[in-house]
Amino acid sequence: MMSAIIRPLGMLKSYIGDLEETTIEAGIPVREALTTLGINPDLVAGVFVNGEQESKDYILQDGDVVKLLAVIGGG
Amino acid sequence: MIGYGGTILRVNLTDGKLTKEPTPAQLARDFIGGRGFGIYFLFKEVPKGADPLGPENKLIISTGPFSGMMVPGAGKCDWTTKSPLTGGYADASMGGHFTAEMKYAGLDTIILEGASSTPVYLFIDNDKIQLLDASSLWGKGAIDVEVELKHKYGEEYQIAAIGPGGENMVLYACINHDFGRQAGRGGVGAVMGSKKVKAIVIHGTKSVPVADLEGYRKAGMALYKACKDAEGLAEWSRYGTTVVTSWCDEVGALPTRNFSAGSFEQGPGLYGQTMRKEIVITDKGCFGCPSPCGKYSNMKRYNTQVEGPEYETIGMMGSNLGVGDIQAVAEANRLADDLGIDSISAGSCIGWAMECYEKGIFTKADTDGLELKFGNIEAVFAMIRKIAYREGKLGDLLAQGTKRAAQQVGKGTEKFAIQVKGMEQSAYATHNATAMLLAYMTCDVGAHHNRSWAITYDLQVGREKVVPEKVERVIWLQNFRPMFDVMGSCRLQWVELGIDRDLYCPALEAITGVKRTWQDLEAVGNRIWSLSRMYWVRENDGFGRDWDLPSPRFYTEPPKTGVTAGQITRFEDVHKLLDMYYEQRGWDANGIPTQGTLETLNLSALVA
Repeated sequence: MMSAIIRPLGMLKSYIGDLEETTIEAGIPVREALTTLGINPDLVAGVFVNGEQESKDYILQDGDVVKLLAVIGGG
Repeated sequence: MIGYGGTILRVNLTDGKLTKEPTPAQLARDFIGGRGFGIYFLFKEVPKGADPLGPENKLIISTGPFSGMMVPGAGKCDWTTKSPLTGGYADASMGGHFTAEMKYAGLDTIILEGASSTPVYLFIDNDKIQLLDASSLWGKGAIDVEVELKHKYGEEYQIAAIGPGGENMVLYACINHDFGRQAGRGGVGAVMGSKKVKAIVIHGTKSVPVADLEGYRKAGMALYKACKDAEGLAEWSRYGTTVVTSWCDEVGALPTRNFSAGSFEQGPGLYGQTMRKEIVITDKGCFGCPSPCGKYSNMKRYNTQVEGPEYETIGMMGSNLGVGDIQAVAEANRLADDLGIDSISAGSCIGWAMECYEKGIFTKADTDGLELKFGNIEAVFAMIRKIAYREGKLGDLLAQGTKRAAQQVGKGTEKFAIQVKGMEQSAYATHNATAMLLAYMTCDVGAHHNRSWAITYDLQVGREKVVPEKVERVIWLQNFRPMFDVMGSCRLQWVELGIDRDLYCPALEAITGVKRTWQDLEAVGNRIWSLSRMYWVRENDGFGRDWDLPSPRFYTEPPKTGVTAGQITRFEDVHKLLDMYYEQRGWDANGIPTQGTLETLNLSALVA
């Protein structure tokens, strides 16, 4: 299976059972991946794919490492 | 005094007298430093009814106990004054390296009093303090002046300077430092200009006594380790505040065409990733910063460079003006910095004028022939210059801010002047974000975001909800976040990296010898908040609830496009938010702190 690694940071970990990371099938937009994982896309300030910021429309590629920054840690 | 420079410096510009006095221990105990010192001196010493641009007003520059110390982001100082833009309380926090030199020169506060008849600059090198002739600097850009003074004195000297905007007393003129950091809001630069002070040059080499040297070392290291270990450090450092540009666009918070919408069809051209790829050269941090959010950019098209743009400038001089080109926004940023005007208020004023033009209220006869349409970047560049020099009828009008401009033009333009208390709203559209709307309505300087950046909470709990929890959140943030401006360090290590705020308390104790919890610190924040409120009450006849109302745009005109299309805050909810806010603050139904609240906060004697 072509897959990407998703690493939510901070409180976003709670959406994947407080795990450090999870994998998801590649070939779908980040926004769809977030919904699949039960993460409200509006609560994700930044999507970083292999270190570079990308939009939530970015199509996940095999082997991508995706970090998700939360907006709600601040305020 | 332990943990402090120990000295207050008074500079009387009228007669040139320089006076030093010890920092009162009780002042440090009750107000700690920074903006706490600022509001104390402003309230106590500037006479009621003083002309903000007259010699009675004062410009109060204060460090805090963290300033210049081994604490992440300890490069903050605070500039407090009576605002010429609003007629009320103003303070502006400035990063860079100025505050560290001030602390090492032994100064907790510099108070500029009176007014000089000729241009001067203040030179401070430890105990050598002079007022020097600045006639050759007058008229020059703030960046140019910094370059010239750096060449004259050396790299270790730090400089804060005004540009032509400050000289011409544009009511939202700023003070520039470190080639791209500003004391930006409320017109502090206009006050400096009114006193004919072009610049301050400062250098210090004194040590700062601390209460517990080993405890200080441990607490400081713990703070830096927390930053270094933070999961998002690399990402925040790479993109800085521009991380949120795309998010704001996605959630309908990106000000677009004078806040008529919250999403911009050309938004991707402004996003952080676009900026990083297209114009950023390198990262830049302030004193002691482990997570540099500053970005130096090169604009090839214009053959110019700037520190920035930050998110706020991208929002206000980009999407808010219909401009989707990051290189053009960066050039507008550079112009505003060098000419010395606040890019947030300037962007809002130009956006208001563009809307007037597109609605036919202004014609080319009003704009000196400029085609002042949204998206016309050349017109934006021209207007920045006109404002800074108060050139032409429109330049002079916009130099006064949107509230005054709309009052003079009439014709319903007040409805789309996006301001509260006379200060232009910064770059978060609040058509349907009630916590953030309340944060703007009740902010102590006018519609500024940095006290209570509550928009994230709107997204978390439901943006349209009008519930006590949102009000509690706004008040908590207003009491808590500005304490960084009191202590003299940057809040972004908490906001962005999410480090444990309790780590700051041992550092504060080790430096000052006074043990304080965050509960204690928030109580000081609450005291400062209500004192600044009483300053508004004292200075403005009839001050009350009406002054807290937002721009009618947010309760009468739902956006036609974008993700918030059709969404709006109901006017009755605006008042419901205020009702809950006043009650929770211990203020009366008109928004005035009650006697009981003032007594509880130990403010009765000061405000009597």
